[in-house]
Amino acid sequence: MSLGSWAELIASGLITGGVYALVALGLNLQYGLMRILNIAHGEFLMLGAFLTWAAHESLGWSPLLMLPVSFLLLGALGLAIHRLVFRRLTLTSANLDVFEARGLMVSFGLMFLVQNFAQSVWGGDLRGYDYLAEPVAIGGAQFAGNKLLLLGLALVISGALIALLRLTLLGKGVRALMQSPTGAQLVGIDTERLHPLMFGLGLGLSGLAGCLLSMSYTISPGMGEPYTVTALIVITLGGFGSMTGALVGGLGLGVVEALGMHFSNPSLKSLLSYGIFIAVLLWRPNGLFTRK
Amino acid sequence: MSQKPAAGLKRRTLVQAAAASAALGFPAIASAQAAPVRIGYTMARTGPWTTGAQVSQEPNYLLWAEQQNAAGGLLVKGVRRPIELIASDDRSDIETCVRSYEKLMGSDKVDLILAPWGSNANFAVAPLANRFGYPLLGPTALSRRLIEMKLPYFFSLLQQPAPMMNALVDMLKAQGVRTMTAIYVDDLFGLENYAALKVALQGTGISLLEDKSYPLGVKDLSPVLRSMKDKQPDAFVGLTYPPDTILASRQAKEIGFNPKFFYGSVGTAFQLYRNVMAASAEGVLGMGSWNSKSSPAAKAYFDAHVKKFGAAKEPDRWASGATWAGLEILTAAVAKVGLDKKAIRDFVAAGTHETLLGKIRFAGSENIGTPGTVGQWQKGEFEVVWPKANATATLIAPKPNWV
Amino acid sequence: MMIKRDLLILFVLACGAGAMPYIGSEFAVSMALTCLMYVALSTSWALFCGTTRYMSLATAAFFGIGAYAGALALELLPWGLVIALGAVLAAGVAALMGAAVLHLRGTYFAVLTFGMTELIRHAITYWEKQVTGTVGRVLMVVPDRDTVYLSVLGLAVLAVLCTIVVRRSRFGLALVGIGADEQRAQTLGVNTRLVKVAGFALTAAFAGAVGAAMSVRWTYIDPATVFNPFIGFQTVLIALIGGAATLWGPLIAAVVFSLLAETLRLQMPQLYMMSLGMLLILCVLYLPGGLASLRFPRAAR
Repeated sequence: MSLGSWAELIASGLITGGVYALVALGLNLQYGLMRILNIAHGEFLMLGAFLTWAAHESLGWSPLLMLPVSFLLLGALGLAIHRLVFRRLTLTSANLDVFEARGLMVSFGLMFLVQNFAQSVWGGDLRGYDYLAEPVAIGGAQFAGNKLLLLGLALVISGALIALLRLTLLGKGVRALMQSPTGAQLVGIDTERLHPLMFGLGLGLSGLAGCLLSMSYTISPGMGEPYTVTALIVITLGGFGSMTGALVGGLGLGVVEALGMHFSNPSLKSLLSYGIFIAVLLWRPNGLFTRK
Repeated sequence: MSQKPAAGLKRRTLVQAAAASAALGFPAIASAQAAPVRIGYTMARTGPWTTGAQVSQEPNYLLWAEQQNAAGGLLVKGVRRPIELIASDDRSDIETCVRSYEKLMGSDKVDLILAPWGSNANFAVAPLANRFGYPLLGPTALSRRLIEMKLPYFFSLLQQPAPMMNALVDMLKAQGVRTMTAIYVDDLFGLENYAALKVALQGTGISLLEDKSYPLGVKDLSPVLRSMKDKQPDAFVGLTYPPDTILASRQAKEIGFNPKFFYGSVGTAFQLYRNVMAASAEGVLGMGSWNSKSSPAAKAYFDAHVKKFGAAKEPDRWASGATWAGLEILTAAVAKVGLDKKAIRDFVAAGTHETLLGKIRFAGSENIGTPGTVGQWQKGEFEVVWPKANATATLIAPKPNWV
Repeated sequence: MMIKRDLLILFVLACGAGAMPYIGSEFAVSMALTCLMYVALSTSWALFCGTTRYMSLATAAFFGIGAYAGALALELLPWGLVIALGAVLAAGVAALMGAAVLHLRGTYFAVLTFGMTELIRHAITYWEKQVTGTVGRVLMVVPDRDTVYLSVLGLAVLAVLCTIVVRRSRFGLALVGIGADEQRAQTLGVNTRLVKVAGFALTAAFAGAVGAAMSVRWTYIDPATVFNPFIGFQTVLIALIGGAATLWGPLIAAVVFSLLAETLRLQMPQLYMMSLGMLLILCVLYLPGGLASLRFPRAAR
């Protein structure tokens, strides 16, 4: 295979990885900060995709416009869900383990609820639309415009999030909470406000990823689950709670999958992904990147 | 003098009118008294099988019942009896299918049953139908293994992998193809077609440069397609399901993979494909066996379908046709022999049936009347391009580059 | 006192269910079969996961292993042994899995069991494709409906019986102790590792047996159908809503939900799924012990 083809292969891996990273970041925010393992995460991605599609079809809105709109809408939904559901859990759970277990069960229920809601509203048919699908040539390689947009935005947003967490006061507060909830509260960081905000942010990111994905892939009510699973794999690899780990892990997984598909076949790739996942969970349960 | 003809005319018209009203009134009275024909089935209205089921199968069942009832009902040995459809959602779940059909055949004892969607469901229901003695015509059940089960009450209408792959390879060979790459889905459909493809390629001089399998629900095929693009084959064959057919087509377009022949399997014949790919659909090959030009019966069916469900819901150019053909056969059987299930079964098994797809006859469970065919999108219509006897248009070769 | 009452109730229910094939319509028997399947699955799930609070999402994996074992052995062994083989293989895999992963807590464990299910599914798909050149199995010679029904009934009764017995045994107390406070249980001398692996294997055995028994109904099995995660999800949902720590909770919930699913399917199928999700959320928020804790408060946490 020529050098150009290698570049193409790796680049397409990065593009897929960009989406993984975006979804994983949202999930990580929720788990790292609040120990809420939101299995329903992918369903909100699906909602973002459907909302964008619906706006495109019936209102004629450009998906680019829907980027901030889906982010805000899903973010608001996240705030509502946290207020209605998770806050009560926090108040009534005896300790963190119980909270985690209950949070998992609740997100389980959410997954059922949201997926079937989407199915009852939009039906089971495949839908899709084309946006920015014209190929763009870079060097000797050819990519679809929307895929490049996807990668670009994924990197920018991930970078922005990491910068937010590192550099702003809000970000420092979040990181402090992640390190030590009691300690953070002692120094006056407002858990009450930060938790719903971060939960909403996580869901907003998910919706944003869904909006981006809808430009180039077909959408259906069941599309979210595989992304939840991949996001789980990514945050396991990168370390629960580590933002950079999620970014690197997401991009890395995308590239590994692309290479794997090239050298073997896509069927084996799935096997490998899960195998690596299990192996990492067993060997380094805290992820490959966290220092312990 | 002028009175007589007028009087005669008046009397004649009066008699004619009386006869007409009697004729109109009679079947109405007759059908009001005739017991309905109860026909049961389950169909995927939710779950992964929904796309296929709601494009290729259920709309046809509904259209058929409506048409028959508009004519006064299903003709049962000279008496018209209204059709009563007893249907439910099987949620794409086999256990639900089995349970529902057990109820329909065992408890409710319906007069006839219609098939559910897909090979898996038919695998489960066919032995059941056989046990209860109900003939089952399956238009979306595609597997050599089903035929090999040798169930006397089961009939598969769709062409088997071997004839379909033979037709494809014959056509490609006639076009001078020397190299090919293929992808296939990790499912019985993909595997059987892949095996049939390999057999068909033997001795043709066409070399299979690369072949890769992929799991159900794959999200990205571009790495595979890129390496195939590098090898520059004359033909690309995808043994794919609708979501993957669309994915492969879109991603091939993205990366600029333009083989002379591009073939996708299930889903290419759907209107959905044309909707998603728009002008890029031009020249794409796939599994299809009819369109409205195939026969007058085909045109009538197509128009009726569009009339009932709207222009946005055309029948697909493969399985829908097979579904309708099955219903035509059933209608003919019931008209001739009534509702005796064994008699219907014998009628279907022994006869040569005229349908919109041509002549259909069965060897065991297999339809050997319809040959393997290849279809191609040409200017917004999916034409049959091979074999010449069934063709509705000539093959466009090579496929124009993706636009 | 209590054990006699429980056994009596079980006996009466078993007799009632056992009479079904002879007095009930085709449909009623099918319905009862589905109920019994979920009774067996959720009761055995709750036996381990309800007490120790290790939420396992691997039910589908064991179900599938049982189904495949059944498919392979169907023409070689008599029916009883086919089911037993399914149970034994599933238990074996569970023991291996358990030994490797049961030291992880809570969410890790749940996520891991889910990952394992998918891994096993992909592995079997790959193996079948490469080595045997096929992707599914056709079950040609199947036992009749009544045999299948009575087998599943037997498994359901056995699951409940097992729960009754285990709850009063030292093993059962150890399980509960692990659920309450694992470290403490260890300091009190419980071999937590062994107990956990044994409990997990027991759960898996039932799932495997049920898988072997039910798969013959479908004539053709492939990985996508028998490793369908939905089987696992529904089992977990039913057990949790019914009350995973109680004896009768999962059983009642299994029956109620199977009937509900059937009724709703005919009108609004998505409503069933959505209401399952909703109910689970409400239960976790307001009734963590499940519905049964309303009636048997001593079992609630």
